[in-house]
Amino acid sequence: MFDWILANPYAVAGLLLPIVIPLVVFQILPLLVLIERRGAAFIQDRAGPNRAYIYIPVLGVKLRAFGMIYNATDAVKLLFKENFIPPFVHKGWYLFAPGIPVITGLLGLALIPWFAPMSYVAGESLAVLSGQMIEANSGILLLFAFGGLGVYGIVLGSWASNSKYSLLGGMRASAMMISYEVSMGLSVMGMLMLVGSLGLTQVVEWQGAHTWGIVVQPIGFLLFLVSMFAECNRNPFDVAEGESEIVAGFHTEFNGVKFMTFMTAEYLHVIAASVLLATVYLGGYQLLPLPLPLDGFDAPWVDLNTLWLKNHLGIIAGLMLAGGGAGLLGFAYLLVGRRRTYQANDANAVLKAERSKEYGLYIAVFALGGLGMLAGAVASVMLMHTAALGQTINNTVIFPGWVNAVTAFIQFNILIGKAMLFCWLFVWVRWTLPRFRYDQIMALGWKVMLNIALVNLLVTAVIAKLVR
Amino acid sequence: MFESLNHSLGTIYFGAFAIIAVACAIGLLVVRHPLSGAINLVGVMLALSGIYALLDSPFLAVLQILVYAGAIMMLVVFVIMVLNQAKDHRVPGLDWFSVITLAVPVVIGFMLVSTVRMNLPASPDAQRATVEVLAPRLFDVTAAGPGYYLLFELIGILLLVAVVAAVLLAKRSLDTSASEPDSADSAREAQEVQKESHGAH
Repeated sequence: MFDWILANPYAVAGLLLPIVIPLVVFQILPLLVLIERRGAAFIQDRAGPNRAYIYIPVLGVKLRAFGMIYNATDAVKLLFKENFIPPFVHKGWYLFAPGIPVITGLLGLALIPWFAPMSYVAGESLAVLSGQMIEANSGILLLFAFGGLGVYGIVLGSWASNSKYSLLGGMRASAMMISYEVSMGLSVMGMLMLVGSLGLTQVVEWQGAHTWGIVVQPIGFLLFLVSMFAECNRNPFDVAEGESEIVAGFHTEFNGVKFMTFMTAEYLHVIAASVLLATVYLGGYQLLPLPLPLDGFDAPWVDLNTLWLKNHLGIIAGLMLAGGGAGLLGFAYLLVGRRRTYQANDANAVLKAERSKEYGLYIAVFALGGLGMLAGAVASVMLMHTAALGQTINNTVIFPGWVNAVTAFIQFNILIGKAMLFCWLFVWVRWTLPRFRYDQIMALGWKVMLNIALVNLLVTAVIAKLVR
Repeated sequence: MFESLNHSLGTIYFGAFAIIAVACAIGLLVVRHPLSGAINLVGVMLALSGIYALLDSPFLAVLQILVYAGAIMMLVVFVIMVLNQAKDHRVPGLDWFSVITLAVPVVIGFMLVSTVRMNLPASPDAQRATVEVLAPRLFDVTAAGPGYYLLFELIGILLLVAVVAAVLLAKRSLDTSASEPDSADSAREAQEVQKESHGAH
């Protein structure tokens, strides 16, 4: 068995991919909650989460980790809360409902191309390991299908709660999601028409060969962004919760683990929407919004960006590591300044000593991490010379396994980085705009966005026909 | 190694989907609440779409989820929720009418079984309903082509007519219940509707 694993690393990677990627993406959830809390405090000009801490006995440090401890306390509280089931609910559906949006959110992640397809030699022929977990030629349709199924969680949960507030929230949510699915599908259709394929890998490769979708379809991008806000039930479209009108909407009757599952699903949908936006309109895993020059390859359907990345792997990895290291060092420098301010202003001597120790730990960790990344940058520039490693077999350039692995890692990070931009946009909008009224949402969806999406589709079709 | 693994996995998946489909279908017959029935029907459709995917028809599978499980059943669930808001009543389970209508699926089932036993020629390797196969055939606009695109456009117009009619019907009742009727005609209509609704109560 072990020999077989060593002999077929790509097959093993293909089997592990559906387990590893959801696990990694799940690690963004607590980060997103932290961004939400700190971002809210930042935008509203207040202190933010700064009380919960873990005491580390050996170092004598009260670790607050910038509010990250709040996530742990949240999880502990919600997990160990009494699993109360109200007596008036429809019990089976009530317990079943919170799982549905989580499942559909995870299934959506399975369709995203996380890295460029890798070609490798298997026996005497060439084989390809796709960056998608489900290699479907109707990829984005399947994504919309799963998105449509996610509504069942809210609808079932609200109905099974058997309470008026929940039912109102659920009906609002389902009506809104059905309405905005129309403009979501129509707005992305312009991009798909230009690409000529429904597969998400093809969409990303088209963007690598031409330019990013946001440049050729700016209106479609805006419509898709707004539809995504509605599909994720985020402010200003969060009438499903509407806490000022209907208590907490569809999850009024849910508590403990069940409530946590609903919240997990909400943030999972934010991540999935961000990744989808980055994939369709920001070039997915592609590094730059233009095809990079590469001698000897003028075939229209060679993924030039990926090939260029593999040829210059050392420099690109070095630049990214250097950027990350500089960021960490800059953050450490900021923390030094913060520590000095506390030292000057704090009257309480005990508090002063505590904060000094805590910030000392942060500064040490971030400075060490930054220096380590800088060292890694130098090492990768010095050691990774990959331009000569590619062999051309049957019009395909084959690289050794470790080059493919590092490229996949870099491309995964590029995609996550682009997605984090949209994650921050979700937070930013939530704490900037007030909630729309329900009739305003319906009017916007049916009377404004649908019409703009139709006109956009028509104009795109005419231009695409003229250009070809 | 992989071929045999894939084959046995396919059998296992088919068994799982078939069991889910049959279980949900039986559940649809025996549950008492309409919404439970609707969710069971969604389960049947999802399992069917899995079986379509196993039969090398991914596009059909996607459409099964997107259109039937996603859109149509969502509408059904929505209507049941709206109608059941006031009174959470349950329908009787198996009555004589349902037993009689059971004859239809039994007959269709016999026909299906006999068709399968006939061993019709089918190539297992064919990609039956992928986007690449379907799209050129459906939108083949040459004169020698099958001309499915004309039917496609006709169905589109039919749906458009249905949507316009639905909007018109909904608009009429909306106009009559408006607080400020802009013409005497609609005002009279509104009064009539009010009278009717009072009479109904």
